[in-house]
Amino acid sequence: MTTVVEKAKTAPRKRKATRQGTSEPVKQDVHEVLIVGAGFGGLGTALRLQQDGIRDVVILERAADIGGTWRDNTYPGAACDIPSNLYSFSFAPNPDWSRSFSGSGEILKYVHYLADRFNLRRMVRLNRNVTGLEYDEAAGVWSAVTASGEVFRGRSVVMAQGPLSNPGLPKIAGIDSFKGHTVHSAQWDHEYDFTGKRVAVIGTGASAVQIIPALVPQAAKLKVFQRTPGWVLPKPDFATPGWNRTLFRKVPASQAAVRKALYLGHESVALGIVWNSPLTRVVEKVAEAHLNRQVKDPWMRRQLKPDFRIGCKRVLMSSDYYPALQQDNCELVTWPIARISEQGIRTAEGIEHQFDCIVFATGFDVSNAGTPFPVRGVGGRELGQEWHRGAQAYKSINVSGYPNLHMTFGPNSGPGHNSALVYMESQIEYILKAVRVLRALEIKALDVKSHIQARHNREIQKRLAKTNWNSGCKSWYLTEDGFNATMYPGFATQYARQMASLDLKDYALIRA
Amino acid sequence: MATIDLDKMLEKIKDSQWALADIDWEAPGADKISPEQWPKLKAFMSDLMWIEHVGARGFAAMAKKAPTDTLREIYTYFHAEEQRHANAEMALMRRWGMLEGDELPEPNINLRLTIEWLDRYSDDMPLEVLGSVIPMLEIALDGALLKFLLEEVDDPLCHEVFAKINGDESRHLGVDFHVMEMLGRGKLHQLAVKTIGTVANPKLILGVLAYAPLLNKMRDNIVAMGLKEERLYDAMNKYERIGGRTEEGRRNPWFQIISQHGKMVVNRSHPYHVPVDALVKLTSFIPNRAVGPVPTWVKGLTWRTTA
Repeated sequence: MTTVVEKAKTAPRKRKATRQGTSEPVKQDVHEVLIVGAGFGGLGTALRLQQDGIRDVVILERAADIGGTWRDNTYPGAACDIPSNLYSFSFAPNPDWSRSFSGSGEILKYVHYLADRFNLRRMVRLNRNVTGLEYDEAAGVWSAVTASGEVFRGRSVVMAQGPLSNPGLPKIAGIDSFKGHTVHSAQWDHEYDFTGKRVAVIGTGASAVQIIPALVPQAAKLKVFQRTPGWVLPKPDFATPGWNRTLFRKVPASQAAVRKALYLGHESVALGIVWNSPLTRVVEKVAEAHLNRQVKDPWMRRQLKPDFRIGCKRVLMSSDYYPALQQDNCELVTWPIARISEQGIRTAEGIEHQFDCIVFATGFDVSNAGTPFPVRGVGGRELGQEWHRGAQAYKSINVSGYPNLHMTFGPNSGPGHNSALVYMESQIEYILKAVRVLRALEIKALDVKSHIQARHNREIQKRLAKTNWNSGCKSWYLTEDGFNATMYPGFATQYARQMASLDLKDYALIRA
Repeated sequence: MATIDLDKMLEKIKDSQWALADIDWEAPGADKISPEQWPKLKAFMSDLMWIEHVGARGFAAMAKKAPTDTLREIYTYFHAEEQRHANAEMALMRRWGMLEGDELPEPNINLRLTIEWLDRYSDDMPLEVLGSVIPMLEIALDGALLKFLLEEVDDPLCHEVFAKINGDESRHLGVDFHVMEMLGRGKLHQLAVKTIGTVANPKLILGVLAYAPLLNKMRDNIVAMGLKEERLYDAMNKYERIGGRTEEGRRNPWFQIISQHGKMVVNRSHPYHVPVDALVKLTSFIPNRAVGPVPTWVKGLTWRTTA
């Protein structure tokens, strides 16, 4: 069996050789850091590395542009459900957010601003879809192979491809038989005109509650297919007043103070959402009051009221979802889907609901029991195989046997109550420390000790057992077997403390 | 009774889904309904269609109480399947010229009161009560009525439709009795204490006041249609026979209560019938509008194959 690297070894050289008009094999540079993915994680890491004087960084991006999540999720109504002042990097504040919860377009603009303002584009190689990573133990070098056969080499590698980057389709019989138009929320078709169309939206998660209010005014008829209702909290979204922006620009400390306040506010919510505490019931009461205030019909309330503890699945934020469902041209369908047919969706009450277009707001394929591409470490060990029963890492960022491999949003780093970027900043700073250590000690690699990783995971799983995520509901946080490889069981502050120091005692230092 | 593997049952349920569009509602045979049969059949089908909803609403409440995800999903399917049966029965009525436009059949007042009770209180009832009473309604009303229907009606499409409905119902009953036995596990004194606690619940007493006259009313309707009431009793006895065939089943206090009640129902000379028949008469004076607004899920009922 040939490895991904072996397969690719000749192809890129040939390509380069042809380009240069010579038959001499081209020696590939070993970059100091290779990064997979040019979203917030990849660009943020590159930015901080650069600020730290580490400039030999290459970012491999599979798409034709940077932006990650916010490049892909452009469906109508797409927005972040964390306030923009907290969903941005503390080291690159934006005083000009137009709303308290900005839309995807504005967030993408911020990503582009980061790339331009910090001159990161020079590091980005677009249209490079990484299909495998392999570690050369002797040389202490990682190779990233792309779909076109190119090979990029780096001393350290950062997997920043994002945990929610591959659209997921539900397992429904006949899904390929539908003759009408289909759209996935993360691959929106902006050419398709929904005006006057009969539209189905499958799913009622975080994307759906944003899409539905945006599509109802356009569609002739919109039917929402719900399997499990989620808890919905009101979203205090408002336009930022001009004076506010001026203040942030003139007194940056005021924006930092607002960010801190938002941070602490979200931290306090953890008490209700992450663990089952008296506050959990309070947060549920707020969500129930929101439902009861916006929905008057008892049967619909019943359909929309979750049966699981708040926090067990992702908490939704919307003030316009419930009103949209009650519009005359909108209908909530809670019957199980039996199959998709040529003309629509057949539900278990025996009726075929016919549509011009089906929107799949069904989320993503989450790699919580595998990797998005093969990753081979020391002695050819394969990470996906090691993770097939659930992913595990040390402090969410390193895996034993995979020296100098770092991950943003690796196993057990997911927040349920605070900004992902807050967690990401801690990860980025940790990566920085690791790369600095290689330089300072002039060593080949850092490899976390397996017993340290095992001890860390025992502790994490013990703490997870007490959280709401592990309280019995099915969610994308858990593997099929119910193993939680996704979430971090604690406050963002605890996570930051976990990531604050890189203890060399935890690592094997591999010298050249 | 061999216990059922609920995961396999769920897969079987998913694999056995059918839709109204699978049936040719224009197939020949609609004229086999005689003019004498027609009015009786119309009343009969109206009752049947609403009885499906007693089961439907019961399963909806049971889905909320289910102790496992699998059972919850099974009950969610059963809820939908009961609605499918109602939709298919309406499509038959439409075929036989018994429904105009989007008109819905009128439920009798006792059915209306039972559905109203289920809508208001069933979500507050423990699984023990619903899991034991719904099988009785399914086996006695649904099961018995379907049998009568197939004996009386010659339209081949009717037989085709009810073959599908019966297929679903056999799975419902399989799960029903499995759950009844499941509910009979545990210490007897604990089961008894829990039962006594529920019996005293005023919401349950209201439920009994809806349920008891419903059975007698249905008996009267069956007799009015020229059918033998013994057939209903045979079906009710089946509940006792199947439900009580294992130790666990017999230990379920609600099974005992419901079968004892069933014995009174089938004994026409039992004094039980004096107050209950009086209740049937009394409830017949309740105007439909006094029951309260029709729940909005009714809007989802349709004889149309597509929507």
